[in-house]
Amino acid sequence: MGPVEAAFYDGQSAARRVVQVAATSDGRSLVIQPEQGAAINWPLVDLRAVEDAADRLVITLHRAGDTVEARLILTDPALIAWVKSTAPDLHRRDVAAGTLPKVALRIAAALGAVAVILFVLLPAISDRLAAALPRDQEVAFGKAVVRQMSEFLGEGQAVLVCENPAGVSALDRMVSRLTDGQGLGYDLQVVVIDSPIVNAFAAPGGHVVILRGLLDEAQSADEVAGVLAHEIGHVESRDATRLAFRAAGSAGILSLLFGDVSGGAAITLAGNHLMNAAYTREAESAADSFALRLLSGAGIGTAGFAAFFDRIDGMDGDMPAYLSTHPDSALRAAQARAAGTAGTPALSDPDWQALRAICG
Amino acid sequence: MTADVQPVQVTYRADAAALFPLALGTGLLSVVTLGIYRFWAKARIRRFVWSQIRVGDDALEFTGTGLEMFLGFLLAVVVLAVYLAGIQLLLFFFGIRFIFAPETPLEEAMQAGSIGLSFLAAVPLMLVALYRARRYRMNRTRLRGIRFGMENAGLGYMIRALVYGVLAVVSLGILWPLMTYRLEAYMTDRSHWGSARFRQGGAWGGLYAALRPYLIGLGFLLVGAVFLALGEAWFGGVVVAMGTIWALFGMALYQTRAFGYLTSHKSLILPGPAAPMHFGAAPRGGRVIWLYIKGGFIVLLLASVASGMLFGAVGMMSAQILGFGGEPSAFAIAEVAVIGAVAYLVFLSVFGTLSLVFISQPILGYLAGSVQVFVPTGFLDALHQARAEVGADADGFADALDIGGAF
Repeated sequence: MGPVEAAFYDGQSAARRVVQVAATSDGRSLVIQPEQGAAINWPLVDLRAVEDAADRLVITLHRAGDTVEARLILTDPALIAWVKSTAPDLHRRDVAAGTLPKVALRIAAALGAVAVILFVLLPAISDRLAAALPRDQEVAFGKAVVRQMSEFLGEGQAVLVCENPAGVSALDRMVSRLTDGQGLGYDLQVVVIDSPIVNAFAAPGGHVVILRGLLDEAQSADEVAGVLAHEIGHVESRDATRLAFRAAGSAGILSLLFGDVSGGAAITLAGNHLMNAAYTREAESAADSFALRLLSGAGIGTAGFAAFFDRIDGMDGDMPAYLSTHPDSALRAAQARAAGTAGTPALSDPDWQALRAICG
Repeated sequence: MTADVQPVQVTYRADAAALFPLALGTGLLSVVTLGIYRFWAKARIRRFVWSQIRVGDDALEFTGTGLEMFLGFLLAVVVLAVYLAGIQLLLFFFGIRFIFAPETPLEEAMQAGSIGLSFLAAVPLMLVALYRARRYRMNRTRLRGIRFGMENAGLGYMIRALVYGVLAVVSLGILWPLMTYRLEAYMTDRSHWGSARFRQGGAWGGLYAALRPYLIGLGFLLVGAVFLALGEAWFGGVVVAMGTIWALFGMALYQTRAFGYLTSHKSLILPGPAAPMHFGAAPRGGRVIWLYIKGGFIVLLLASVASGMLFGAVGMMSAQILGFGGEPSAFAIAEVAVIGAVAYLVFLSVFGTLSLVFISQPILGYLAGSVQVFVPTGFLDALHQARAEVGADADGFADALDIGGAF
């Protein structure tokens, strides 16, 4: 194969040089002969394609640790075909040595940083902000959360807040029996919402919501009193408010990863997150011990509280929502039983019946 | 001077058949890898598109890599996580009373305001990202083996873009040319190709010829609004509608014509007394609008065929998994949900491929092909390589903030 004409850019100047290109006799290199000056030798193993179009092949030379910017533009079909079939690594993408550890390090650093932000920085700031929130605003916020939840539970239609007078006064009696003289920081607003789901939750600012399903599932007033005392524990330690702040902050990060920077979704997410309030284990056990204190202070036996966990623990498969966010029911039942003091029932029998019929 | 200047035509060579398999294949790979591959996909598509743009006989070359874009994205995510989480928390703290359920009109306004605010908080970052993305593309582009480049000046760009952007909006677009010109000049004057610097000539007043159709539309709109205010509902409504459509077309025309004006007033200057290299471009705005409408029509047509096939198959599979009659198991429901989600993502990547191939590429091709370069004799021989620059984030911020654009 005789030398053919090609264009050459040396990578230093934008000048186009016309060169003669041929294969060496051993077929291992290309020889590039400029009009003036010495010939350049490009070994085939180091050739890399830059552009591979129908009418030409642009190649460059790869040298480890050194960027070679020269470009050779071949247009002769026979030479292009020969280079393509002979150069072994024409289409290889070279990666500098030590790239893999560097990449691994960067990924680990990024994940670590995001984790620190999500699990250390954000909770710390959230707790500060939640503590700084004026109480009247917290109450207003809680009211809005309860309203949003009842809308969500009713799938758009307003869900009935149960207001059967006998049931409401029975509930009030239970609340005051639990809390009177305990020096609580909030005016409690406890409501029952007509939903078949077995659940109860605390919203910011002293709001506690019990779903009708929980009343149906409970077999005694003591069980309801136990759950109620537990939620009051969350209220007192402002868990719901703190959680809302955390959710709002992490929603900012999540929306970033999902490509929604407007934050519109963040608000919805914060609300929905509260629905499935997943408090930390520490917050849960604090609320548990708080509940046991309330119960014993009110002279209500803890056996009901324990029994409720036991029964819920036996129901795998069709798991009630209440359980899914409150792990280790068996353990908690044991704790409640260990703390166990006998007492009088939380409500008189007629009151208990009235409470169960609160949505009737 | 005219005697020894040689005009060189810029051309774009690719057709739909060449880009389609590349874009679809890399798009599907991105779905399979949960989005991680998208950086490599972007690099491959850019390499292809760049190589199809030829200045005379020389092709542009994109030297960026998927790996560096991925690493840049990681960096950007960390920075943005701190910033956005902080902003979100503060807004939540001050908006907590009305953010969930506004009770008074004032609170409703404040809710809308706080959502708008959290978007506005991201705008400065988006502007910096926009500049950095262009800088990255410049730094990773070569012609004749010589690198392009751009100074690291995203902050100055952001401040100017905010000021001129507010002026343009407040003046109902009358000061739009001021923004277009000053921002383009800011970037052009900081760009270079090897040892030659770009210079933006012309003046912002020169863009008003391009803005004329929009201004006429705006005039109709305002006159119609006056009639509406006077109670002439029917006549005023017609004039407002006419003015709006006119103004929208005017906006589209303006962008193409502004590109033509700004390109025609760019030059490339070597140090010393050598004559500068000039550019020329006269793209027709109507042609771009036509390409957009034609492409949009093809995309809609093909996308509906694709979605019919895709979701028809999903429906049949779902019916088989769920069976007929009887309560489906939770596992079967989850399986159908996953199939549905995957089909949705596949559809999105098909749609993205179609708009790239039938809208973005033809418009890019037309605009590139409208450019001419006037090269003085000896200019290229005197032009030398510049030092390599490395941006730490590649265009990670632009990717994380989703403002990458088509290419």
